[in-house]
Amino acid sequence: MTMLTDFGYILLFIIAAIVFVAVILFLAKLIRPNRPNEEKLTTYESGEEPDGNANVRFNIRFYVVALIFILFDVEIIFLFPWATVFGNKRLIAETDGLWGWFSLVEMFVFVGVLLIGLAYAWIKGHLDWVRPEVKTTEYESKIPTSLYDKINQKYSQ
Amino acid sequence: MNFWYFLTALTLLSASMVILSKNPIHSVLYLVFTFFCISGHYVLLNAQFLMAVNIVVYAGAIMVLFLFVIMMMDLSKNSPDSKSTLTKLAGAILGGTLLVILIAASRKVDLKDVKPIDAQTGMVEGLGQILYRDYVLPFELVSILFFVAMVGAVMLGKREAGERNF
Amino acid sequence: MNAIIALSLFGISNLFLGFLNNRKILLPATLVFILIALGLNFADWNHEYYWFNNMLKTNNLSVNFVTIILLSTFLVVAISRSFGDDDEHSHPAEYYAILLFSAVGAIMMVTFENLIMLFVGLEILSVSMYVLTGSDKRSLRSNEAALKYFLMGSFATGILLFGVALVYGATSSFDIHGIAQGVAKAKEQMGGAYGPLLYSGVILIMVGLLFKISAAPFHFWTPDVYDGAPSIFTAFMSTVVKTAGVAATYRILSISFPSVYGLWGNPLVYIVCATLIIGNITAVYQQSFKRMLAYSSISHAGYLLITVLAKRPETNSSLLFYSLAYAIATITAFAVLMVVSEAQAKNGKADESFEALNGLANNNPLLAFSLTISMLSLAGIPLTAGFFGKFFVFSDAFSNPSSLFKWILVIAILMSTVGIYYYFKPIIAAYMKKGEVAKIELSPLYKFILILTTTLTILLGLAPDLVKNIF
Repeated sequence: MTMLTDFGYILLFIIAAIVFVAVILFLAKLIRPNRPNEEKLTTYESGEEPDGNANVRFNIRFYVVALIFILFDVEIIFLFPWATVFGNKRLIAETDGLWGWFSLVEMFVFVGVLLIGLAYAWIKGHLDWVRPEVKTTEYESKIPTSLYDKINQKYSQ
Repeated sequence: MNFWYFLTALTLLSASMVILSKNPIHSVLYLVFTFFCISGHYVLLNAQFLMAVNIVVYAGAIMVLFLFVIMMMDLSKNSPDSKSTLTKLAGAILGGTLLVILIAASRKVDLKDVKPIDAQTGMVEGLGQILYRDYVLPFELVSILFFVAMVGAVMLGKREAGERNF
Repeated sequence: MNAIIALSLFGISNLFLGFLNNRKILLPATLVFILIALGLNFADWNHEYYWFNNMLKTNNLSVNFVTIILLSTFLVVAISRSFGDDDEHSHPAEYYAILLFSAVGAIMMVTFENLIMLFVGLEILSVSMYVLTGSDKRSLRSNEAALKYFLMGSFATGILLFGVALVYGATSSFDIHGIAQGVAKAKEQMGGAYGPLLYSGVILIMVGLLFKISAAPFHFWTPDVYDGAPSIFTAFMSTVVKTAGVAATYRILSISFPSVYGLWGNPLVYIVCATLIIGNITAVYQQSFKRMLAYSSISHAGYLLITVLAKRPETNSSLLFYSLAYAIATITAFAVLMVVSEAQAKNGKADESFEALNGLANNNPLLAFSLTISMLSLAGIPLTAGFFGKFFVFSDAFSNPSSLFKWILVIAILMSTVGIYYYFKPIIAAYMKKGEVAKIELSPLYKFILILTTTLTILLGLAPDLVKNIF
């Protein structure tokens, strides 16, 4: 039996997770009663009656937001290797402290350019969602508001 | 080594399922699985950081984008295959030729005098030292690339008056 | 090198200038930005210098290429007319900014010393072009062109990247001089360990780059994309992108892989011949002026690649001269095409066919004359810059001892005569065909650019040594 590497353990965990879920689901299937009806089989939509097809076309705004998300995701990825070398004692000692400043400025420039891009998209209004307009009605009621106040006062005691 | 064969077979199988399955959502799921398999290959190559990046960026973020694209298409209409058999055949022959040539070329490669890797190869720290010391300029210019992509996507994605509303 | 940093900053500031709500300021600002970059570029003249751990190298050759690229960008921006007055649908700040960024990518492609730089530069240039191709969102053809360009272009980039990875595997270097050493070593132990990796890598890199300069058989995207994109961006694509692509191909093949000339030279011979024949013959059958220019740009890629093949010390200058002559003439042609097709628009759609040019000379002598000179230059008629461009390229090929070049020369000269036929079509339409083009009002800047490019074309045709000696 050879020794497992660290990633071998991770693989074991993954396999164990899959097996565990499969066993539980299988057990549940064995012991649960099986009496389907139409109500039970409909899609669960937070208690609402499902309406229409779920395969509708999405608004393109979701896509723009997802794209901006990816760009910043990749930017974060670049921060990880940077974090491992930014405070490297040997490099700092070799360069008389210059390395720290150098790498700091380097990352500031990188993040700065992307932040400017975000600022651009923000100012331009691409991140604004189209909100439903709230309309106040123009209808003038014949019943004066003082009447309502009286009723409120009467029943609030 | 045996594990490598298993992983490779799995990768190829799921990759071909991406293009063979009829339902685009299934294709995306197979693609996610393919990415996980490729991450496994990165681990075997001692490149743990790349594995993490591959899972976070590809299996995570890019897949979300793929799903959005699929949901922006109208899948209720089943459009018939537009490619003729001849086109498919020609494509298969061309792609197959490239595959055969590449396989034949890589079979000839003699790997006797390859430098053995040490335990530090592929670690994040080594990557960081190369990326932020030697490759400063490309790294900074990648931010310009992202910038262009962002500006372009935002500009093209904006819906305008008079545009075809599908 | 400084031009790269300056242009990146200018591009960003250009975007924010767009918030001023003053469209008039953008065009002069962009022109000034490009001129500043051009000035910074000349600071590198006569200094051979490596930047940032051998990422970039500037020398006189690269300064010359950058000058051609920035000059083309300048001319394209100058004829853009602020992208019309349609506030709703055009975004001039974004367009100018993206044009500046793509110039950054192009400069990286002509000065790179490391394949990573080549890749990043190529990506910046390509992504900008995908966006600009699809910038006319109301036109279905523009959308289609952008999608086609994007899908095929990203595939080609993938092929290039695969090639880079294989070459790295064979030579364990990204540096183009390091690769040259690695190649020499691999050649020493002939059929050595890394041979197959190296050979596949070289071919794949070449394919990826040839796609970008639309050489046959990788040209299928070109007509649709050039036709569908807004004319102003087509002008940019067929000049700046082509110059940068040919320069990058030349740089990597002549510095990294001269010792395996047979490997890439033999396929390139067939590619050059195919490009010349397909580009010229297909251009004859075109009904649309714009589509004809797209095929003409394919054929010119063929002539440019002859210099890459010739591999002689003096090819540098003929490559530069040809690129310059081609860029100036093409931009003139597009400048004329843009205003005429808009003036002749039917149902709000610009008419880009040859018929739109009928009778152009009657009311618009300047436009007709510029068109004539640019067409003569593209055809390579004496007393224009194009003639000497072709002359230098052909004499490079002729002085090469290999007998193969004689055959290339025969094909190239035959195809040049075919070219004369279709380049005369617009001239005949403008001067001899009956038709009516109303007098087109041109802005002073537009007139100035037309006169400038026409004068330059004639001047270079009369005294090529003026520029040839600098190169």
